[in-house]
Amino acid sequence: MNKRRSLYLIMLLLVLLVLMIASVFIGVYEFDNGVLETVFNLVFYPDIVSESDRYIIQQIRLPRIVIAVLAGAGLGVSGSALQGLFKNPLASPGLIGITSGAVLFAAVTIVLGGYIKEYLPLWISYSLLSIMSFIGAVLTMWFVYRISTSSGKTNIGVLLLSGVAITALSAAITGVLTFVSNEQELRNLTFWTLGSLAGSNWEKVFILSVVMAISLKFLLPLSKQLNALMLGEKDACHLGVSIEAVKRKIIIFTALMVGIIVCFTGTIGFVGLVVPYILRLVFGSNYYYVLPLSVLLGGILLLLADTLSRSLIAPVEIPIGILTSMMGAPVFMGLLLKYKKNL
Amino acid sequence: MIKAVNLDFKVKSKYLLKSIDFSCHASEFVAIVGPNGAGKSTFLSLIANEISPSDNEVIFKDCVFSLWCRTNLAQHKAKFSQSFSSDIPLLVKDVVMMGRYPYFQNTPSKQDIESVEQILRYTGLDQFSGCEYNFLSGGEKQRVHIARVLVQLQNNNKQKLLLLDEPLNNLDVKHQHSVLKTIRAFCDKGNAAIVVLHDLNLASEYAQKVVILDKGIKICQGGVKQVFTQEILSKVYQMPCQVIENPISKNPLIIFGQ
Repeated sequence: MNKRRSLYLIMLLLVLLVLMIASVFIGVYEFDNGVLETVFNLVFYPDIVSESDRYIIQQIRLPRIVIAVLAGAGLGVSGSALQGLFKNPLASPGLIGITSGAVLFAAVTIVLGGYIKEYLPLWISYSLLSIMSFIGAVLTMWFVYRISTSSGKTNIGVLLLSGVAITALSAAITGVLTFVSNEQELRNLTFWTLGSLAGSNWEKVFILSVVMAISLKFLLPLSKQLNALMLGEKDACHLGVSIEAVKRKIIIFTALMVGIIVCFTGTIGFVGLVVPYILRLVFGSNYYYVLPLSVLLGGILLLLADTLSRSLIAPVEIPIGILTSMMGAPVFMGLLLKYKKNL
Repeated sequence: MIKAVNLDFKVKSKYLLKSIDFSCHASEFVAIVGPNGAGKSTFLSLIANEISPSDNEVIFKDCVFSLWCRTNLAQHKAKFSQSFSSDIPLLVKDVVMMGRYPYFQNTPSKQDIESVEQILRYTGLDQFSGCEYNFLSGGEKQRVHIARVLVQLQNNNKQKLLLLDEPLNNLDVKHQHSVLKTIRAFCDKGNAAIVVLHDLNLASEYAQKVVILDKGIKICQGGVKQVFTQEILSKVYQMPCQVIENPISKNPLIIFGQ
C-alpha cells in the first residue's frame, strides 16, 4: 500500500519535472542563439548570455512555471480536501463559491483601495489584497458550510446553489465596480474574471511557497481522517478522529490557499474538480492516494494548461481560465449525470 | 466497567430517557431490548459518549469520558451505528482498516495489516477483501462493519467495551448466530458488549443480562430468566405472549400471539 503510493508519487513527480523543464523551452520570445543554447549557456556560462535573454528566462518564464505548479497543486489539493469534508465529488473551490468570494473581496479592495492607496506604503497595499481575498475565501467557506450542512449531513443541492448565489453576487458587484473604476483598475478586474499567470514574479513565488508549505503540512496528514468521515461523523468519532479539528483545518487552509491563489492568478476554474476526479477514476476514493497525489497532478495539469495557453496560438495568449473550463465543464457534466440521483 | 447513575436525557424539556441506572461488568453480554421508540439507540449513544446526558455522567473505567484521551478511548471501546452511511467508495479491506486508525499516524504498520487480514478470515469476509464495499449486499456490509469494530479492539488492553446498535439487521439466520457467537467469544475474554437487539429469543440465547426499556424508562434489568417473563413482556410490547423453556438450552423461549 505504502510502496504503491510512493511509486505513483515518484512517477507523477517525474512527469512534473519533465514538464517544467520542457516549459522553459516553450514560448514566443526569440533568443539570439536559440532557446536550447541560451539555457545551456545560462547554466554553464552565465556571463555570455545577453541581459534580455537572461531576463526572459529568469524573471518571466521560471517564476511563471513555478507559480503554475504551486497554484495547480493548491487548487488540486483544496478540491480533494473539500470533497472529503462535504463527502461529495462535486464540491470544489470554484463551484461552491469560495473563488468568487475571494474575487469579490479582491475586487472591492482594488477599486476602493485606490482611494486610500496613496496613504499606504506599497508593501501594505500589496499584502492587503492577499489578506482581503483570504478573508473573502474564509467568509464564504464558513457561510457555505453553515447553510449547507446540518447535524453532520451536507445537502449537496444547497451547497452548489449557495455557490451559484455567491458567484452571482460577486459578478454583480464586480460589474458595478467596472463602472467606477479607471482604465488600469478595469484591466485588473478583467484579469480576475478570466485568470492569468502572466504577472508572476519571484515575490509571488515566495509568498505562495510559504502558504503552500504551511497548508500542506496541516492538510496532507488528514487522509486517514477524510476516509473515516465517509462512515459518518459519529462513527468517525469512535475511531478517535477529532471531527471539529479536521473541519477547522480544512476550512482555514483551503481558504488560505484559494484566497492567495486567486489573488495572484485570478479565477482559474475547475482544477479543484478535475484533479480529484481523475484520481478517483484510478484509485477509487481512498484519500490515502487521492490527497497527496492531487498535489502533484494539480501542478501538472495547471502547468500543462498554462504552457498550452501561451503557445497554442502564439503570439496571442489564451486566458488560462478558458482552457481549464474547457477541461472541467465536461467533467462537471459527467459527474452530474452520474450523481443525479443523489442530488 | 461502565456505570451510570440516574441518567437523564432531554431534548427541549422533553425527556427521551429518564433516571436510568445502569452498570455493566467485565465478561458481560448485555442486551438492550424494548419496543420502537423506547430510547434504546439514545441510551446506547449516551453510553458511547456520542451525546452527553442532560444530568449526571457516564463513568467508563472509573473515569468520565471528558477526561479520556481520544485515541486511547478508541482503543478501549468501539461502536457502530444502526444507520451507517451507505455510500463508501472504498474496498472492503480499506473499510476494515479504518478500525486500525487509532493505532497509526499515516501509514498502517505490518501488524495493522496482519490484524485486518486475520479478522477478515475470522469473520469469513476474506473472499470480499478486494471488492468494493458499495457493491456488497446489506447483510455483507453489516458484517464488514462488525469486522471493523472487532479489529479496532484487537489489542492487549483488558476489559474492552463493544457497543452495537442492531447488529443483526439484514443478516440471515446463519450469520445472526455467527455474529452473536463472535460477540459472545469477545465477552468471554474478559470484555463486555452492550447490544441493542430486536429478537428476544436470540437475546435470550446469547445475552447474560437484559435491560428492557420502554418510553425512555428502564422497566427492569437482570438475567434472562428474571426479565423475560410473560407478565413483563406482554405489558411492555402490548401483546399477549407465552414464555416457555427452550427444550435444548433451557433458556426462556418467547412466543408472541395467542
